[in-house]
Amino acid sequence: MADPILRATGLSKRFGSQQAVKQVSFDIQPGEIFSLLGPNGAGKTTTISMLSGLLIPTEGDALIAGHSVTRQAAAVKQAIGVVPQEIALYPSISARENLAFWGRMYGLGGAHLKERIAATLEVAGLADRADDLVETFSGGMKRRINIAVGLLHQPQILFMDEPTVGNDPQSRRRILDTVKDLNRHGLAVLYTTHYMEEAEELSHRIGIIDNGELIALGTQAELTRTVGEFDTLHITVDREGDALDALCRHMEGVGEVSHCTTDNGGLLLQVKDANAALAGVVAGIAAQGARIRDIDIREPNLEAVFLHLTGRALRD
Amino acid sequence: MKILHIAWKDTITRLRDRRAIIGFLLAPLVVAGLIGAAFGPAFRGERPLSDIPIFLVNEDTGEIGDIYAEVLSSPDLDGLFAVTESDDLAAARAAVESGDARAAVHIPADFSEDLLAAAQTAADVPVTVAVYTDPTASISPFIVSAVVERITLSVNTLMLSGQIGTNQALSHAALLGPALAELDSIVPQVIEAQAETAGQTSIGLTRLALGEEETDANPFSYFAPATAIFFLMFSMMDSTRSILQEETMGTLPRLITTPTPVSHILLGKIGGAFLTGILQFLVLVLASAVIFRLDWGNPLALAAVMLATVFAATSLGALISALARNETQAGILGSAITLVSAALGGTFAQASTLPAFMQPFSKMTINRWSLDAFLELTFGQADMAAIFPHLGVLLGMAAVFFFVALVLFQRRFVR
Repeated sequence: MADPILRATGLSKRFGSQQAVKQVSFDIQPGEIFSLLGPNGAGKTTTISMLSGLLIPTEGDALIAGHSVTRQAAAVKQAIGVVPQEIALYPSISARENLAFWGRMYGLGGAHLKERIAATLEVAGLADRADDLVETFSGGMKRRINIAVGLLHQPQILFMDEPTVGNDPQSRRRILDTVKDLNRHGLAVLYTTHYMEEAEELSHRIGIIDNGELIALGTQAELTRTVGEFDTLHITVDREGDALDALCRHMEGVGEVSHCTTDNGGLLLQVKDANAALAGVVAGIAAQGARIRDIDIREPNLEAVFLHLTGRALRD
Repeated sequence: MKILHIAWKDTITRLRDRRAIIGFLLAPLVVAGLIGAAFGPAFRGERPLSDIPIFLVNEDTGEIGDIYAEVLSSPDLDGLFAVTESDDLAAARAAVESGDARAAVHIPADFSEDLLAAAQTAADVPVTVAVYTDPTASISPFIVSAVVERITLSVNTLMLSGQIGTNQALSHAALLGPALAELDSIVPQVIEAQAETAGQTSIGLTRLALGEEETDANPFSYFAPATAIFFLMFSMMDSTRSILQEETMGTLPRLITTPTPVSHILLGKIGGAFLTGILQFLVLVLASAVIFRLDWGNPLALAAVMLATVFAATSLGALISALARNETQAGILGSAITLVSAALGGTFAQASTLPAFMQPFSKMTINRWSLDAFLELTFGQADMAAIFPHLGVLLGMAAVFFFVALVLFQRRFVR
C-alpha cells in the first residue's frame, strides 16, 4: 500500500475547559475519498481546521504529503485545497477576479494562473459567467466557485467541510457529482458531512465522529457489519414533542428493542429482527394510546451504526 | 508580493462600493464647503458688515482732506463704518495691526496744497491717500478701499475739470454717501472709472496690508484639512474593520489556509486601508485646490504630512479592530474615538481655543498634530523643517499602534 497522503495521529484540541477533539487518528490514501460523518458539534470542523492550519493542535500531529501540520505549515498548505462550509468569496468582484486573487495567494501567476482559472471555471461550469460579480450569482453557483478556488493550485488532497449545507437538491447533486469526478481524476478528498446518504454515496472509507471522538472507522460494509444483526424500524405516530419523547422512553423496555430515538416526527427503533419484533412494538405503542401512521423497516446502514454506537440519531 | 495583492484587492473592492465613494470622497468636500461657507467669516475674525471700525488720520491743513472725513462720517455711511478720527498715525496703524480696526485712512499734511498745485500747473506730482488694512480680514478692507477710491475718483474728476472750486467739490462729494449704500453697483463703477481716468488721476491711492501678510485667509485652509482628517479617521476605522468583516465572511480563515503568513495577510489588509486613505486625501487635496482655490503649500511637506497622517490613522484603526471582540464593537469604539478626537483635535473649532486643561488631551490626538502640520503649510507656508516635530509625533503614534495591532491580531488568528 502506498504511503498515506494524510496521517493524523492523536489529534486533540481543547478550548479552555472544553475538549473539542480527543485523540483522533486516521489515514487517507492517495485517490481515496474519506468522510468524517457526525452530527453538528461533533468536532468535524475543528479536525479539518487543525489539518488545514487554522488551529494549532493541543496534542498530536498530522502528516500531509509528508509534511507536519505543526512544524511545516507552509508546505502543508501548498499541498491541500480547502473548501470551507461557508461561501468564502469576495462578492463585489467577479468570479475571475476572485479566482485570480486566490490563485495568487497560492503563489500562482502569469499564464499558468490564467490556465488554472480557465480550467477551474470549466469544472464549476461557470466559464460563461466568469466576468460577472459573484454577488449576482445564485447560491449554487457561489458554491461551485467556492469549490473551484480550492482546486486552483492542483492540491494533492481536497478538504471539503460540509459543502452541501444549505443547498437545493439540484446544487447538492452537482456538488456530489463534482467530488466523484475529481476523485476519478485521482484527487484524494477529506469530506465532512452530517448527511449519511452523502457519506454512503461518496466514500471509500468513513470515520464516524461524535463528541470529538472517532468512534468508528472503516468502509461502509465494515461499519454496517458491526450492527449486522440489527434492523431499524422507523415508525411514524400521532405524537410529537414531549409526548413523542415519552413514548420513545417507554419503547426502550418493550420486546427486543435495544435503542429508541426520535427522528423526523417518528420513532427510530433498533431491533434484532424487525419481522419478529414488529407485533410487540405495535402492541407497545398501542398500549400507550398512540396511533401508528406509517412503518418502515430499514436494512442496516450508517444511521443504524450511529444509533448503535451512540444511542442517538445522527441528526439529534 | 502577496501583501500588495491583498492591499490592491481591498482597494479595488472599496472603490467599487458607491456608498464608500460618496462617504469617503464626496462627503468631506461637501462638508468642508458647508462649514467653510457657514463659519468662514467668524473664522477669519470678520465682524458683520456694519460698523466696520476704521481710523481716519486727516493731517491735511487744507480743505480737500475734509472731503474724506465728511463722506466717511456722513449719516448715510453711519451704519457701515464706525470712524475714529485720530492725529496719531502710529496709533491708528497699531489698532489695525492688533485687529481693533479693520483699516486706517491716512491723508498727508500737504494733501490739499499739493493737489491744488498739481491741478493749476498740470504737473505730474504724486499725491497719495494711504489705506492701511488688516491682512487677516478680506471683505471689510475691500469695502473701505472701495469707498476711499470712490471719493478719490470723484475729487480727481472734479479737480481736473477745473470748472468748480473746492466748495463745490465738497458739496458734490457729499452726494457720494447714498450711493455707497449700494456697494455692489459701485465697485464695478469704481473699476470702470479707474480705467477711464487712467493717466489723469492726480491723487494716488495706496493700499497697504499691515502686520504679517497672510498669503491665504481662505477659511478652507482650515476647514479642508480639518474635514479631510475627520473623514479619513472614519474611513480608516471602516477599512481596518474589514479585517473583522473578512473573519465573519469566512474569507480571512480561508486566507489563513493558503500558504500566506498571517503577518503578510494583516500587512496586506492594513496596506489596503492605507492605499484607500492616501487616495482619499489626494482627491480632497486636488479637489479643494481646484474648487476652493486652496493653496496647500510646499508639495513635499504636504506629501509627508499626508503619509504620516494616513499611516497613523490606519494604525489606530487596526488597533481598535484588534482590541474589539467583533465588528459591531469595533464600529462603536471607532466612531466614538473618531468623534472625540475630532472635537479635541480642532475639527469643529480651533484647538487653541480649548480650555488649558484640555490641551494635553488635544495633543494626544492624531487630528491635532496633523491639523497643526497642515495649517503650518496652508497658512504659514512653512517648509519641511517646520513640520518635523509634527511628523515625528504622527509617525511615533503610527508605529506604536501598528506594532500592538499586529501582535494582537497574530494572537487572535493563530490559535
